[in-house]
Amino acid sequence: MKGVIRLAALTRSYGTTTAVDGVDLEVRAGELITLVGPSGSGKSTILRLIAGLDRPDSGRILVDDVDVARMPAHRRAVAMVFQDYALFPHLTVLGNLTFGLRVRKVRRAEADQRARIAAQRLGIGDLLDRYPDQMSGGQRQRVALARALLRDPSVYLLDEPLASLDAPLRFATRADLLALHRELRTTTIHVTHDQHEAMTLGDRVVVLAAGQIRQVGPPQQVYDAPADTFVAGFLGSPPMNLVPGGGVLGGDATLTLGVRPEDLTLDDAGRIAATVEAVEALGSEAILLTRCPDGTRLTVRTGPRPGVGPGDEVRLRADRLHRFDAATGRRR
Amino acid sequence: MTGGEPIHRFGAACVVRRLWTGGGAVVGRWLGRYVVPALFAALFVAPLWFMLVGSLRPTGAPPPRTLELWPAEPTTAAYTRLPELVPLLRYLANSALVVALAVPVTVLVASLTGFGLRLLSGAARRRALLGLLVVLLVPVTAVWATRFEVFRLAGAVDTYLPLLAPAALAVSPFLVLLYAWSFGGVPDSQLQAARLEGAGWLTIWRRLALPQVKPATLAVAVLAFTFHWSNFIDPLLYLTSGDRYTWPLGLRFLLLLNPTDWPLLMAGSVIATAPCVLVFLFAQRILLADDPLAALRSKGRR
Amino acid sequence: MTRPRPALTGWAFLAPYAIAVALLVAVPALLNVGYAFTDHTGLTRDPQFVGLANVRRMLDDRFLLDSLQASLFHVSLAVPVRFVAAVGLGLLLAAPRPGGRWFRTAVYLPTVIPDVALAVLFLWVLNPLYGPLNQLLGLFGHAGYNWLADPTTARIGVVLMLAFPIGEGFVVVLAARRLLDGRLYEAAALEGCGPFGQLRRLTLPLLAPVLVLLAVRDIILTLQVNFVPAYVLTDGRPANATLYLPVYIFDQVFEFSGFAYGSLVTILLMLITAVIITGLLLLVRRWRVLR
Repeated sequence: MKGVIRLAALTRSYGTTTAVDGVDLEVRAGELITLVGPSGSGKSTILRLIAGLDRPDSGRILVDDVDVARMPAHRRAVAMVFQDYALFPHLTVLGNLTFGLRVRKVRRAEADQRARIAAQRLGIGDLLDRYPDQMSGGQRQRVALARALLRDPSVYLLDEPLASLDAPLRFATRADLLALHRELRTTTIHVTHDQHEAMTLGDRVVVLAAGQIRQVGPPQQVYDAPADTFVAGFLGSPPMNLVPGGGVLGGDATLTLGVRPEDLTLDDAGRIAATVEAVEALGSEAILLTRCPDGTRLTVRTGPRPGVGPGDEVRLRADRLHRFDAATGRRR
Repeated sequence: MTGGEPIHRFGAACVVRRLWTGGGAVVGRWLGRYVVPALFAALFVAPLWFMLVGSLRPTGAPPPRTLELWPAEPTTAAYTRLPELVPLLRYLANSALVVALAVPVTVLVASLTGFGLRLLSGAARRRALLGLLVVLLVPVTAVWATRFEVFRLAGAVDTYLPLLAPAALAVSPFLVLLYAWSFGGVPDSQLQAARLEGAGWLTIWRRLALPQVKPATLAVAVLAFTFHWSNFIDPLLYLTSGDRYTWPLGLRFLLLLNPTDWPLLMAGSVIATAPCVLVFLFAQRILLADDPLAALRSKGRR
Repeated sequence: MTRPRPALTGWAFLAPYAIAVALLVAVPALLNVGYAFTDHTGLTRDPQFVGLANVRRMLDDRFLLDSLQASLFHVSLAVPVRFVAAVGLGLLLAAPRPGGRWFRTAVYLPTVIPDVALAVLFLWVLNPLYGPLNQLLGLFGHAGYNWLADPTTARIGVVLMLAFPIGEGFVVVLAARRLLDGRLYEAAALEGCGPFGQLRRLTLPLLAPVLVLLAVRDIILTLQVNFVPAYVLTDGRPANATLYLPVYIFDQVFEFSGFAYGSLVTILLMLITAVIITGLLLLVRRWRVLR
């Protein structure tokens, strides 16, 4: 079926480091899926393997039910948008858009025509004579997207497409990307190291670490029920408080207990005693850095103006505890 | 830099006063930044100046016994005499033919090799660079005689083919390194994007990489031109028929013919040198820019 | 990251150059060794093996001794002069300033003068009666020299001529100097390090690897390649004072039908070059400039 991607036991290592380690994944048709993980987790390598920019050591890659593992990159039904957009600086927007068509021997008139349509669709129809260095970051990204559009692929591969934009633009462009995906309904695999993007952009999110998939699921579900301590610590900012052995949160030595900062509340009836060490006021909210008598540090998210300051003794109530196996780190 | 402000406020008069009064440091800066460089520049241009001045004196007459910065009665008589003594135009045409063949070959080999280096990564690139360094250190004289023997056995003596040998070697590994550095400015993602569009590596080299390093191509072409136009030793070894001589050989022929007619010899030298100087003036914008490495990589848009 | 396919492609792009190097450099270099032990004249096609006859001839060759002496004198004078000129001018003119490019262009220009034209020009410059150099000395009340007639001044004249075409090293120094981090100099200035301290403690140590490479390359150029202007200027005269090894090889191979002997002298020249360069590298190794 068009737009379905299957990865089976995909493995790729460079020398002694295994970048991708037996990854199994099925991406549904029309889905927007986000690969997220720290740098070196193998997320970009997976993208490059699907694109054909790299060859797997073993395992299978099926695009539209066709095994493409040995197929040259340009014969695969994929289009990629690079982090730096990879626009050709010596060509105009029109030249950039028609480059691939001309390489594939499409006649000039037809190539121009198709490029114009794609450009219109992304709202850059009046920029066709500009050179990349005459455009803003957002406009360049649209050119890169238009170039991908022209390939009419079964799947879009987006490699950190927002990373080189500044913060306000990133917010707007994120919305644009979502709208575009909703309009096209083409399978999209999106790689990022930014958890905000992962939470807001994907139908499902894939959390990777050390070349292995740690958890797959809808963002909220992954957030609410992280599969292990790594995912728990990686998604969420500030990260989940993890207390080996339970400690102040209760529990026993076979467990690691976790609680999200927003699930800790200042409550005079709370069971946990702590001292405020610092207050980070972020405007719309505040983060309290606290320390319990046994040395455990807990991060607490409160509303703005929490009314406490460094040195104050507070009592905390913990809701929604997460239980992990102390030895394996898996959720219990 | 405490002296900066008053200069702005009171204008040029103050600059002059500072130079005379407390401005020992300012004088020092001027000496270091302009006066000393100008003296060296004059020293290096002087030989060219003497060449030009020497060529504008009347032929046959004894030159002046004192230093003369400009001839009393400049004349181009030497230049009109030249074609009467040697087949100047024929030699120049031969030189032009050699350059027209050798420069494109040089640019082709240097850019292909430079692009190859660009594509290698890590240990492979280091190994290739080391090999290039070894070639840089192999002197031509070491292979002179036996290379001649190879061409003699191949029956290529007295043709222009051996003159293309340096071109096949990109003249100097420096030209290859120049291209390798310039191609380094084309990011991997662009090469990969072109690969995804189905472009072959030759297409990428021609339509993606080369258009982005036009300054490097200009610099390499100019340096190749000056080398091939000036090349003396290869024509000397390989060209035996007088009607195939290039102008450097012709100039030596002229020297053997008229060892003391200085205006004539200087005119011949000016004719040999002028194309190189003119062509080099195109490349100095890049090679001698404040930041030559950046100038090489400046994208060749438009 | 290793990318197997692009790596292969990279080597493929290097292939034309590699083939040219093999055919035009490696094969001739090996042939040298083979021909050195024959009686090949360069005119016939069937050289005979003669064992060590050429080596014996070499051992009592008075001309070769003169030639060696001339070459060593030349290298020991020309290399330092050219090196100091290229590095000094490169560092002097590297900083951006209005018109800076034209100063650099002036310094580079003699490099584009064709070898023969340079030699003809210096025949004129060094002319004892009418030459600008002696006339210049005359301005200071000096009688001047009969440059090319006396062995010592002839050698100095050749060095003088070769002190001008230094453009290649000059450009390399310009580029290398630009790669140094400007913040290092700001840091040094904050430590109270003046211009000469910066040159001695920062610039020269940081540029050392490039400078060593330049010196090595210039030794080779001076010993072996830059002989063309010398060949036209003096052709070995006077009294073999400028019969540099390449000139001698040229004469043997192409003038006196001594192809095989010329091959042997070429090998000797290569060995001498190798010895000098090894000596230089050992010297700088003690300074620990090359990692």
